[in-house]
Amino acid sequence: MKALVSILLVVAVAVLAAVPWFGSDVLVQFGINALLLAVLAQGWNIIGGYTGYASFGNSVFYGLGSYGVAIAMVQWELPFAVGMIFGVVLAVAFAFLLGLPVLRLKGHYFAIATLALAQVMIAIVSNIGIAGQNIGLVLPPLNNDPLFYELSLILLVAATATVFWLTRIRFGFGLIAIRENEEGAAVMGVNTTLYKVLAFALSGVFSALAGGIHAYWITFLDPASAFDISLNVKMIIMAVFGGPGTVLGPVLGAFVLSGVSEVLSSEVTSAAGLFFGLVVVVAVIFMPRGLADLMRRFRTSGWRYFAENLRAHRI
Amino acid sequence: MDLLAQILINGILLGGLYAVMALGLALVWGVLNIVNLAHGAFIMLGGYLSWHLYTYLGIDPFLGLPITAVVMFGLGYCLQRGVLNLIVRAPMFNTLLITFGLEVVLTYLAQMAFSADFRTINPSYAGSNIALGPVVIPMARLMAFGVAVVLTVGMWLFLLHSRLGRAIRATAQNLVAARLYGVEPRHLYAMTFGIGIGLAGAAGGLYGTVSQIDPYIGATLTAKSFAIAIIGGLDNPLGVLVGGLVLGIIESLTVLYIGATFGDVASFGVLVLVLIVRPSGLLGKTA
Repeated sequence: MKALVSILLVVAVAVLAAVPWFGSDVLVQFGINALLLAVLAQGWNIIGGYTGYASFGNSVFYGLGSYGVAIAMVQWELPFAVGMIFGVVLAVAFAFLLGLPVLRLKGHYFAIATLALAQVMIAIVSNIGIAGQNIGLVLPPLNNDPLFYELSLILLVAATATVFWLTRIRFGFGLIAIRENEEGAAVMGVNTTLYKVLAFALSGVFSALAGGIHAYWITFLDPASAFDISLNVKMIIMAVFGGPGTVLGPVLGAFVLSGVSEVLSSEVTSAAGLFFGLVVVVAVIFMPRGLADLMRRFRTSGWRYFAENLRAHRI
Repeated sequence: MDLLAQILINGILLGGLYAVMALGLALVWGVLNIVNLAHGAFIMLGGYLSWHLYTYLGIDPFLGLPITAVVMFGLGYCLQRGVLNLIVRAPMFNTLLITFGLEVVLTYLAQMAFSADFRTINPSYAGSNIALGPVVIPMARLMAFGVAVVLTVGMWLFLLHSRLGRAIRATAQNLVAARLYGVEPRHLYAMTFGIGIGLAGAAGGLYGTVSQIDPYIGATLTAKSFAIAIIGGLDNPLGVLVGGLVLGIIESLTVLYIGATFGDVASFGVLVLVLIVRPSGLLGKTA
């Protein structure tokens, strides 16, 4: 069974990697977006899914990664790779500086504090000269979609491998312990503050790298689009729809939802947004633990699975 | 000095309106333990309802407020009864997500139904002012402030003295005990959510008279309401009133002394600071 899953995964990655050779330009562009969203969902999975801290502010990391690349390439004329590292440094610095106070908050308070931070970033970056203020920055164009596609795919594989590795090591067990019972974890000797900040930073690293790739691909960024709040919604919905706290759930959720939303938006433009909202409402009611849990339990419970979820949480 | 007085007056008038916005959010949060991320979207809907009543039926926005509030109450009641009661015992994160989904749905529906244009409710007295020495008080803002204070104090009295208000407070304290004393939780939750949304609708009507409405104002208003609820606490509408005034004054001062783009930064900065310094709120207890 395990061998079968790993063979299937290798085949899936190989097929995905081959897409630029046989797919159309539109498919490759859609692929870049879907892969980057999957990276964001997987990054969120580390802090939201495994550690249990519902961050609504991961878009900040994405924006910092975008601006890291843009500032390095436009203002300092450094290569793309240096820009990516600069973006990661910014994201990690942010995770440590603001993570320390904010991660002391729990539940609703943490969620809203991170949402507020995400909202504040737009106004702050709009007033920073080196970031091009509210006009934004224009990057040197590189017309090579297959390259961006493969970079995104490598990033997604790296993020997923990291999450898989987390489920095997002491650090990952510590995060799950924090999610299940933070006081209990502290009593058992987990340094909860350090673990939480590290998880926040790790989740930020992947989001920042995704932002960096996206910035160079799109070649233009301004504060409102780089720190887009609705990006938080997308990554959380994808992770939760797929299955938070599982290795492959967020990736699956991102692919399924990106695909459906792409089909819908080619039919009716505003229907895609509406669809996202409705999916969240229905998913929270009928499959609150995501696709991964649904696939695992549907075999034994069948359609009763939905009724069981419904019964568990209604009044 | 005159300028400072004027700014303080503006902040206080704005703060009263903010308080009504936050009132419904705090009520629902305190009783149902749901932070309603769609709260701002309901304020937006209330604003559009008032705008339509005024533009097409010629109903004065202040006289139309009861209609808006009652319609929004009905919407809230049905939503809680039909949808949110299904997940009210789910983990915190799922309740956050479902209300976020609702906010997205409402925003897109509003965009389709009302277009993305700005709307403002402009009754004949919108431009008139009262001069108090050097300080000028805009008529519409003063009226909105008056209604806001009446609603807040009314809510406080209602929770303290009416039978339904007592049932709501009892449920907030202990659901099991309230059930044993004959409270029907499905109905009571729906009533509470309905009242919260009704208040949001009224706040939207007031907001439309002093500012602009478009389908996307919801998220910011939710965050502001949340900030006020944190500052003011969840158990007392008067605390929410204080929270609204504090935020209104801080915002007005920031816009004057630091810059217009920093108005929102100030309110969210205050929110983060309050959370970090006193996670349980500045006044009273929170959930």
